[in-house]
Amino acid sequence: METNPTSLPMKILVFLLFLFLLAPVILVVPISFSGEQILSFPPQSWSLRWYTALAGNSAIISAFWTSLLLGAIVTVLSLAAAIPAAYVIVRMRTMGSGFLYNLFTAPLLLPTIVLGLAILIVFASAGFLGSFWGLVIGHLVITLPYALRVLATTLGNLPLACEEAASTLGGRPLTVFRRVTLPMMAPGIVAATALCFLVSFDEVVITLFLTGPRLTTLPVELFHHVESRADPLVASVSVLLILLTLAVVMVVDRTVGLSKTFVK
Amino acid sequence: MMHQTILSGTPTALTSRDAHLRLDGLTKRYGDTEAVAALNLDVPKGELVALLGPSGCGKTTTLRMIAGLITPSGGRIVVGRSDITQMPVYRRDMGLVFQSYALFPHMTVARNVAFGLEMRGVSKPEIEQRVREALAMVRLEPLAERRPRELSGGQQQRVALARALVIRPSILLLDEPLSNLDAKLRDEMRNEIRDIQQNLGITAVFVTHDQVEALSMCDKVVVMKGGKLEQVGTPVDVYEHPATPFVASFVGRTNRLEAMGKGDGTAIAGGAVLRIPSRAQGPVEIMMRPHRVRLTDSDGASASGGEGTNRLDGRLSRVTFVGDLLQYHVDVSGTELVVEAASDHGRVFRAVGAPVSLMWRVEDTMVFGRTA
Ligand SMILES: Nc1ncnc2c1ncn2[C@@H]1O[C@H](COP(=O)(O)OP(=O)(O)OP(=O)(O)O)[C@@H](O)[C@H]1O
Ligand SMILES: [Mg+2]
Repeated sequence: METNPTSLPMKILVFLLFLFLLAPVILVVPISFSGEQILSFPPQSWSLRWYTALAGNSAIISAFWTSLLLGAIVTVLSLAAAIPAAYVIVRMRTMGSGFLYNLFTAPLLLPTIVLGLAILIVFASAGFLGSFWGLVIGHLVITLPYALRVLATTLGNLPLACEEAASTLGGRPLTVFRRVTLPMMAPGIVAATALCFLVSFDEVVITLFLTGPRLTTLPVELFHHVESRADPLVASVSVLLILLTLAVVMVVDRTVGLSKTFVK
Repeated sequence: MMHQTILSGTPTALTSRDAHLRLDGLTKRYGDTEAVAALNLDVPKGELVALLGPSGCGKTTTLRMIAGLITPSGGRIVVGRSDITQMPVYRRDMGLVFQSYALFPHMTVARNVAFGLEMRGVSKPEIEQRVREALAMVRLEPLAERRPRELSGGQQQRVALARALVIRPSILLLDEPLSNLDAKLRDEMRNEIRDIQQNLGITAVFVTHDQVEALSMCDKVVVMKGGKLEQVGTPVDVYEHPATPFVASFVGRTNRLEAMGKGDGTAIAGGAVLRIPSRAQGPVEIMMRPHRVRLTDSDGASASGGEGTNRLDGRLSRVTFVGDLLQYHVDVSGTELVVEAASDHGRVFRAVGAPVSLMWRVEDTMVFGRTA
């Protein structure tokens, strides 16, 4: 990237905008090192007590592992369903593929609370409440449309000619898909992976309906925690999550390049 | 020559096969418009045929139907004795060079070229060998490890060519494969393609809208217009005996003159009586090539010409210098006619505005019935 000379007022404006956007993220860092019993800013004293407390809080730790596993499984299943679906909708263009696309991405438009209630009603009668696989299905309803949308857009922007060239060179449809289409979709697949995982890891509304006393995810556990006690424990969890997110972003940037993945 | 190394490889069954290509009433409709309308064409084995025509006349559509990338709305495609109209693309064994190159962006140049060989299950060492030969042929050996986006347009085009040729297809389809090369490289690649095609006996269809390309390297020229055939013939045929005014004006430059045929081998045009090699009666169109017309002073005694010569008088309106030629634009009672003469260091002997005469032989006069 070339850097254009930017005027000073512009620089200040951009700085202020970033400050505004990042303020909550920046604030949780000092709060997490608070020595106080309750959430306050700025803290009166400093300590690592909330990190220690976190290490001893088995409820939050087990919720974290549940969220991690849930996110991973939901992401894999979303991609496994969305990649072939995107291919059929974009490339095969059968009758009604436009309708199918709209149908599959419709949940993006519905208020999540409505979805959550609907799922609650169905799951209650099916006995899925409080089960891990119930959560997986619930999250899939949210993540699949995202994955399908990102992948269909990626595929739609790829020149068909490359796949055609591969087939004139003797590639059978499945080989062409594996050797040409899939690698060319790589940036979209990385983006969809990150998006699915983050959406699932972050999801509260639907999850609130589906979790039970023995099974809960990190966001829901934090939600309940804040409801009963306003201590800085949540800040230390937030800091750790921010670090985790940064790590993921850096890995993505190193492997495929951030702007290539998310911009466009 | 470099392509000879290509020949030394293990011979495959592909090229020895009977690759006589025949299009039988081939048609492609998009909605109401016919992109290709009932095309009949015969390409004998080992011939290079040019599909020549203006933009949008259906060249690419025809080529893609032959390759199997689009399904014809009607008609048949026959190779040898088998009807391949319904055969899937990947079994057709045709090399196609795309107008847009269509290189695989995630593979190096070498892997791009190797792709077709891998699909055919060729052994690793042989793939390596043949990829190297193919890249040498298009003079891209040093760039083998680059990605397509790191190449210029012309370099990409040559990779596309190498990728299609390396599989030694029985039929080679080229969609304007030289459009992005500079004049010198284009000349070289023309000869290279022609040599390879002849040496391997490949049947080839070459799409172009460059008439020089079509005339200079092909066995047969197919002129298309609006999805239909205008004329099929040898380059000399098409140039010397164009079947329609469209062919005459599209293949080579022409002068066009409206005239009235009298039915006795003469016609009236520009206030003069012209001899024409036709007994046409009524409105006709007369054409002649600019380089077959001579420019003389209108008052000179030599201007009479003689039995086998036509003559028109006019006024010199403009002279254009185009390097090896001078183009004299002459106004003949409202119609502009062009005379081309070899340029002698760009020297012009006549002043603009001077009265001049145009003379050309009767047998160089082309006559067409006027439509509309
Ligand atoms: N998918 C399509 N849908 C509708 N019309 C099409 C489609 N593809 C091509 N056409 C039309 O068919 C006609 C022939 O197109 P084609 O691409 O074969 O032209 P061409 O001779 O290759 O032109 P060029 O020299 O510009 O490449 C054009 O009028 C074009 O608009
Ligand atoms: Mg074309």
